[in-house]
Amino acid sequence: MSPTTFHRIAAIGAILATGAALTACGSSPAPGEDGSASEGNTTSKITFWDPYPQHKDGSAWDEHVKACAPDGATITRTSAPQTDLFNQLTSAVKEGNAPDIVVLDNPMMPSAVDAKLLATAEQAGISTDGVDENLLGPGVVDGEAYGVPFGSNALGLYYNADVLTAAGVDPASVTDWETLNAALAKVVAAGSKGITFSGVAGEEGVFQFLPWFWGAGADLEDVSSDDAVSAGQLISDWVGDGYAPKSVTTDNQSAAWDLFLTGEYGFAVNGSWFAAAAADTDFTTGVMPIPGRDGGVAPVPTGGEFAVAPVQDDDASDHYANAAAVIDCLTSGDAALETNETLGYLSAKPDVRAQQVAENPLWEPWVSSVEGAEGRTTKLGGAYVDVSASLSEAIQGALNAAGDPAGVKAAFENASGY
Amino acid sequence: MTTRSWWKLPLALLLTALMLFPVYWMVNVSFTSRDSIRKGQLIPLDFTLDHYAVVLHDQLPYLGTSLLVGLGTVLLTLAVAAPSAFALARLAVPGRTALNFLLIVAQMVPAVVMSLGFYSIYSRAGILDTIPGLILADSTIAVPFAVMLLSAFMAGLPGELMQAAELDGASTWRTFRSIVLPMSRNSLITAALFAFLWAWSDFLFASTLNREGGALRPITMGIYNYIGAQNQEWGPMMATAVVASIPAALLLIVAQRYVAAGVTAGAVKD
Amino acid sequence: MSEVTAARALVTRGSRPTRGTRGTTPPGARRRRRSSTWIAFAFAAPLIAYLVLFYAYPLVQNVVMSMHRFDRNTFVNGGAPFVGFDIYGEVASQPRFWPVVRQTAIFTIVSLTLQYVFGLALAVFFHRAGFRLASGLRALFLVPWLLPVIVSGTTWQWIMNADNGILNSFLGIFGVDPVWWLSTDTSLISVIIANVWLGIPFNLVILYSGLQNIPTDLYEAASLDGASAWQQFWRVTMPLLKPVTLITLLLGLVYTLKVVDVIWIITAGTGTSQTLATWSYGLAFGKGTSSVIRYSEASVVGTMLLLVALVFGLIYIAVQRRQED
Repeated sequence: MSPTTFHRIAAIGAILATGAALTACGSSPAPGEDGSASEGNTTSKITFWDPYPQHKDGSAWDEHVKACAPDGATITRTSAPQTDLFNQLTSAVKEGNAPDIVVLDNPMMPSAVDAKLLATAEQAGISTDGVDENLLGPGVVDGEAYGVPFGSNALGLYYNADVLTAAGVDPASVTDWETLNAALAKVVAAGSKGITFSGVAGEEGVFQFLPWFWGAGADLEDVSSDDAVSAGQLISDWVGDGYAPKSVTTDNQSAAWDLFLTGEYGFAVNGSWFAAAAADTDFTTGVMPIPGRDGGVAPVPTGGEFAVAPVQDDDASDHYANAAAVIDCLTSGDAALETNETLGYLSAKPDVRAQQVAENPLWEPWVSSVEGAEGRTTKLGGAYVDVSASLSEAIQGALNAAGDPAGVKAAFENASGY
Repeated sequence: MTTRSWWKLPLALLLTALMLFPVYWMVNVSFTSRDSIRKGQLIPLDFTLDHYAVVLHDQLPYLGTSLLVGLGTVLLTLAVAAPSAFALARLAVPGRTALNFLLIVAQMVPAVVMSLGFYSIYSRAGILDTIPGLILADSTIAVPFAVMLLSAFMAGLPGELMQAAELDGASTWRTFRSIVLPMSRNSLITAALFAFLWAWSDFLFASTLNREGGALRPITMGIYNYIGAQNQEWGPMMATAVVASIPAALLLIVAQRYVAAGVTAGAVKD
Repeated sequence: MSEVTAARALVTRGSRPTRGTRGTTPPGARRRRRSSTWIAFAFAAPLIAYLVLFYAYPLVQNVVMSMHRFDRNTFVNGGAPFVGFDIYGEVASQPRFWPVVRQTAIFTIVSLTLQYVFGLALAVFFHRAGFRLASGLRALFLVPWLLPVIVSGTTWQWIMNADNGILNSFLGIFGVDPVWWLSTDTSLISVIIANVWLGIPFNLVILYSGLQNIPTDLYEAASLDGASAWQQFWRVTMPLLKPVTLITLLLGLVYTLKVVDVIWIITAGTGTSQTLATWSYGLAFGKGTSSVIRYSEASVVGTMLLLVALVFGLIYIAVQRRQED
């Protein structure tokens, strides 16, 4: 054959061989070793991943974490947003270079466990004593605990006292959906804007919607029930009547908070992580628990993250020992209070929580919400992600329908597929 | 300027203003304090320099890394692309059509596919979280395009000088280095411009392959420090973008002068 | 036209290695021909190695993934079952499949057309502009490229805010009612606007360089013949710009098909702004409405995207071949 044909065939062969070889190498890595924290020793370099990029190098949280390094060890901390962190953890475990500790969003726990990414709490020497059951729930899969939450945040209904007073609305009068809508009508009639919340596509929008969903009596096992549709109708009407800005379909919680900060809005559905910022505003703010449809307090979803130890390929016991040491440091004694105060969470342990409230009255309105919070994945486990996807589609459809009842109903009934 | 085209300058200014309006908005927000960012005001009534203070405190190392990665990508891209373009355009390398086609196909591969593949390779080769690794990855964005651009220009060069050099006994490498490269100066600078801009604004490769690099991450990742779990700070982000654009804009203006001149200008002495 | 023909002739003459002047090829020249082939390979070798290393592996991995049923567990621990083309069938029968394909087509064709037209108009405007600030202003047109897309995308999102965005305020001056730009129905138009804005610099630079290559004597000759500026544009500029136009359109098509970030930042791919590329991205990383990672489905959609681009690549080669003949 001619030299050029030979070269061509050789080149194609090389490409295929390289591709096949590398793909074969990639598709079946060795499973993680078993190991146990009690059998290992801490190493000098510890890697810690969390979803708090806003706490940069030198911030209070950063210093607090690094101070929890065992003697002679240094902690390297990396941050990334929630979904990215989970994906990075996935590829890291696949390649066998997972970090020692990861702080993972609570609804992702069953998915992480199903993908065999996490070591059990027992294996990694993580203690779950003294933690409230409802907060621990998302991290328990098939009866086995896989990590421990530092604390929880919760959703509440912030209000701008100045705007409400100017509109002649008494915050104490808001006790159910009817009175809330009446208050919104008065606020808008007085020339202000109504309410901000986040209806963005994805888990964040679902997180914000769940208090209304559960407050109407709906259940995650049936997303198209009449109760669910009524909750969807509530938020859809807000957009249609002009009580909520149209940007709710793309605003995440931070963007919704930015809107509230302008001082033009009467109400904001947002989280306890903004409690300190709310106290700092130019206008007077207050916060109340989110009302249920027919009165009472609506259950809110458990917020916050779990500290977990990923599965390791080599020297697993040493890595688990690292995890045990650092997590123990962050969740016991005075450090536990510091952890939650720095992050803006209410501790998952009732005694530490009581201490937090005693020292900082800002937390008082949030205690009942945290104690009544429900885990999203506690009952559904790994099936939650699909339910969340359907609910997110439904929320987006409902908001876009801007009050049209047929549109809202269709959004909740047709949400499926990918 | 003739009276006939007096309208050209105002029209140009108007078009530029329209095009750059989003940039103006970005600068506007960078000087607005957080409370007023969503008010939609045309000028920063709630003026603050706090965001810039934060940026200058946090972002300078990332800016340095971005510059380094950008320049490294330019060098690597040109080093791979120029000889190949020469081979494709003037050396009658066999399989030219196939190679040309492959270059187009290479640019069709979505970046997501590339970065997932790269992660395993880099992890095994141990070049995760390194600057050379990132330079290598960023060059994949620019190399196929650079080869196409350079070979198009090199094909248009008059062959007489090269033939003359060959008759004088110069080797192909010598011809390439002393005749073709200088004549292609403007297209090389155009290719360098694209390579730099693409490397400068790359986020996907940086976030996949350079996560734990600390200060050795480019500015596109530094900006993400302001996107937290529940809290995003647009003021510092916009300020970072403004600060990051300045060195790149200066490089652009300098490079434009070379891109402006035609390919054959000054290349062949009449 | 004769100068262009002469230049073309030079090109064809210059691209072949020299032959011996007599009929038969002397042995020295034959040796030189074979060694010049090796030299050609040596020059092209870095590129070939580069292409194999960096593009072949991800491509092969992508196609392999599209034929196995992967989830997060099997991705990490192996054992994904081989299912042939089943997943292709499943993806194609999703209710959202054909709408997404249609949206991708609209997004690509409209973006491409507008980017090209605006880029060409600006290039012609700045070419032979005659005023001093021309090159400076032209450089400023590249500034959109310097900005991280997260920043420019978010800025567009604010500009298109339904309640207090500048775009609605501007339209309000002409009495137009506020438009909910980011709602399900109009989100496609919104992302097209932002994408066109981002694409103008690329077209401007390439087309401007192409215009520079056209010898000015041709314009002088044409105007001496009495051709108006418009006629000069159609009879001189456009035909000579054809190769540059082809490559700009092809590359523009390839890049536009891949666009994810600007759409994602503005609308997260919701509503009619969902294209094959954003769908694949959401499936691959568990973003958007669903946080379930579907690696296989993402690879399937990615492969479909690649095939579409490939078809246009082949069309380009065919057109280019016909042009050279």
